[in-house]
Amino acid sequence: MEFNENQTQTTGIAEQPVSVAAPELINGSHALIQSLIIEGVKTIFGYPGGAIMPVYDAIYDYQEQIDHILVRHEQGAAHAAEGFARITGGVGICLATSGPGATNLVTGIADAIIDSTPMVCIVGQVGSHLLGTDAFQETDIMGVTIPITKWNYQITNPDEIPEIIAKAFYIAKSGRPGPVLIDITKDAQLKLMSKSFVYKKCEKLLSYRPRLSPKEEQVEAAAKLINESKRPFLFFGHGVQIAHAEKELLQFIEKTDVPAASTLLGLSSVSVDHPNYVGWLGMHGNYGTNVLTNSCDLIIAIGMRFDDRVTGDLSRYAKQAKVVHIEIDPAEIDKIKKADAPVVGDAKRALEMLLPLVNENNHAEWRAEFKKFDAIEDEKITQPELAPTTEKIKMAEVIRTLSNKTKGEAVVVADVGQHQMMTARYYQFKKANSFITSGGLGTMGYALPAAFGAKVGAPDREVVAIIGDGCFQMTIQELGTIAQSGLPVKIIILNNNFLGMVRQWQQLFHEKRYSFVELQNPDFITIAKGFGINGHTCGAREDLNDSLDKMLASDKPYLLEVLVEKEENVFPMVPTGACVADIRLE
Amino acid sequence: MTTYTICVFTENTIGILNKITTIFTRRRINIDSLTVSETERKGISRFTIVIRHESREAVEKLVRQIRKIIEVLAVFGYLNDDIAYNEIAMFKISTPIGAKPLDIETINKVYKAWVVYWHLTYVIIQKTGTEEEIFEFFNYIKPHEILEFVRSGRVAVSKSPQTLVDYLPEAEWEYYM
Repeated sequence: MEFNENQTQTTGIAEQPVSVAAPELINGSHALIQSLIIEGVKTIFGYPGGAIMPVYDAIYDYQEQIDHILVRHEQGAAHAAEGFARITGGVGICLATSGPGATNLVTGIADAIIDSTPMVCIVGQVGSHLLGTDAFQETDIMGVTIPITKWNYQITNPDEIPEIIAKAFYIAKSGRPGPVLIDITKDAQLKLMSKSFVYKKCEKLLSYRPRLSPKEEQVEAAAKLINESKRPFLFFGHGVQIAHAEKELLQFIEKTDVPAASTLLGLSSVSVDHPNYVGWLGMHGNYGTNVLTNSCDLIIAIGMRFDDRVTGDLSRYAKQAKVVHIEIDPAEIDKIKKADAPVVGDAKRALEMLLPLVNENNHAEWRAEFKKFDAIEDEKITQPELAPTTEKIKMAEVIRTLSNKTKGEAVVVADVGQHQMMTARYYQFKKANSFITSGGLGTMGYALPAAFGAKVGAPDREVVAIIGDGCFQMTIQELGTIAQSGLPVKIIILNNNFLGMVRQWQQLFHEKRYSFVELQNPDFITIAKGFGINGHTCGAREDLNDSLDKMLASDKPYLLEVLVEKEENVFPMVPTGACVADIRLE
Repeated sequence: MTTYTICVFTENTIGILNKITTIFTRRRINIDSLTVSETERKGISRFTIVIRHESREAVEKLVRQIRKIIEVLAVFGYLNDDIAYNEIAMFKISTPIGAKPLDIETINKVYKAWVVYWHLTYVIIQKTGTEEEIFEFFNYIKPHEILEFVRSGRVAVSKSPQTLVDYLPEAEWEYYM
């Protein structure tokens, strides 16, 4: 064995690789953590493992600057990062090892791309000399994540780290946000950089140039259609929240006096109290919003993408209406619904430019049409749901009581299924940026880790997760993460011992052939206690108020299980393949 | 079915082919031919992808999705009339002793094809042209027994006077060589 003359170690055999380089040179792992610090990262959700150990060794030195939160499963890290990103408007960070660590992130990454959530996932990879050899815990995570990331990149040389991390952040948060995955081989984490660490934030890329300010002629064409319209109908989506355009949206709505409806992910951007707010759209949205979609003469769509759960049968969807589509992603224009006046740009910028061009207007008469449908919906669905005669509690009562107790200002994180739709229907959102749910992907198990991530991001706000008994068991292990953090995340399980939404479909469309939807559940409160989290089961209506009060008063994490009606259905409903105007009330 | 030629300009880095083709796969669009090479600009690759599709709208949507790939600088979709295009084909033709001799004059003058390699029992003929021209020659040469036949993907250049530099004026590029 040859020794370098400069070597400081004199014991004869070098046990450890010895740095002989100038002291200012740092290794890839330190370069990574320093890059994250410069990007303003204060929180990482992660899970260690073999191929990411050098990074974990580096984090040990930066614990005062960066708070690393140890999740119990990498999927939990991904959803927590999503919840964090959604509530803060910043980028969520996940750290995981190669192979199974990285593949466990996949569901969360897929969720983030379809819901436009900015996330940087950093995963370890086997040493570059082992790439392609089926080495221990080697997965081609680059290949796996191509279709579900906004960008991915594999680093094999520590010198690349500052530039690639800067690029990753720029890509994740700019334009239409999305997840970025950076795969770093173990040798790149360990090796010293060959040059001093210099970090330059990325502000521009030649090949990626998202348009923020729309073209003036596009805005003018949109304004013309809006000013000519007799029955305009505004749809706002997640893009409004992402662009922080709530104020501009409100100014626009008030000046033009248009009725405004939300998509699922747009909820809370306009307060339910606003006179122009007419409800939400889609499969389980409101009666009037769906029916009148087919009798407006103009749709003004802002930051939404005409998901099939919104449009129903496209061939019978708003055929009579012209469309103004304000959207930052040019690929969304004409993708589902042809736009007569596309406006490609950031929702806030677009609204700012549109505002002086649109006329003040009065659409009171047109808006009153929604009220007629509201009255029917109220009588047939809402009132019976809120004041039921059933012995068992109904989901709607729980949500509305919670809504009243939190004044409609809590951060509500709903999982996926009937309880999610009930939350969207019955929580009365009065504060912007208050609803987090998995919209596009419909990821069961999302809410528990996402609520935790949201609480980390907004510790001063009340964060309540609303979860079904099926969903809860998909990421139940994150109770451990929550308990260890001590953060007072409030968890409500609406337990009907069924996979309720699937059961509803089987009842309505499969002749009640209940195929594998009934659950024999564990004792959730005992499980929570095992994790060190207090809880309570509420089975009687008389106990609901006190139970919610107790949960909300807790300064620690708290689990409230509510035993609800086993076979209730969510209505209204636009069955798959039906036309929005044919929405069913029963 | 209409033939579309999609030209994609990208940064020349590992994995871009995968990022592009997955967009076709997801939409169940089959690729008829694909050619990649570095362009006149250093570090910039050009993909020429030929597909057939009945819906122009679907092809336009496909082009917009390709444009979303971060490493992609520009994407253009063309109809055949918009471009000058060609392919190259090679034929290995059996020429056993005693067989009918090849009419080299016709091959050269009529079909603009060239023998590029002679062997005792076969020759290799190279033919450049459009798919139609190549298949015309294929039919002509068929009676001689084709031992092997291979076609390249299409290469195409737009008839428009604009070049990539016009679309990306801020780029500072060096020539490839």
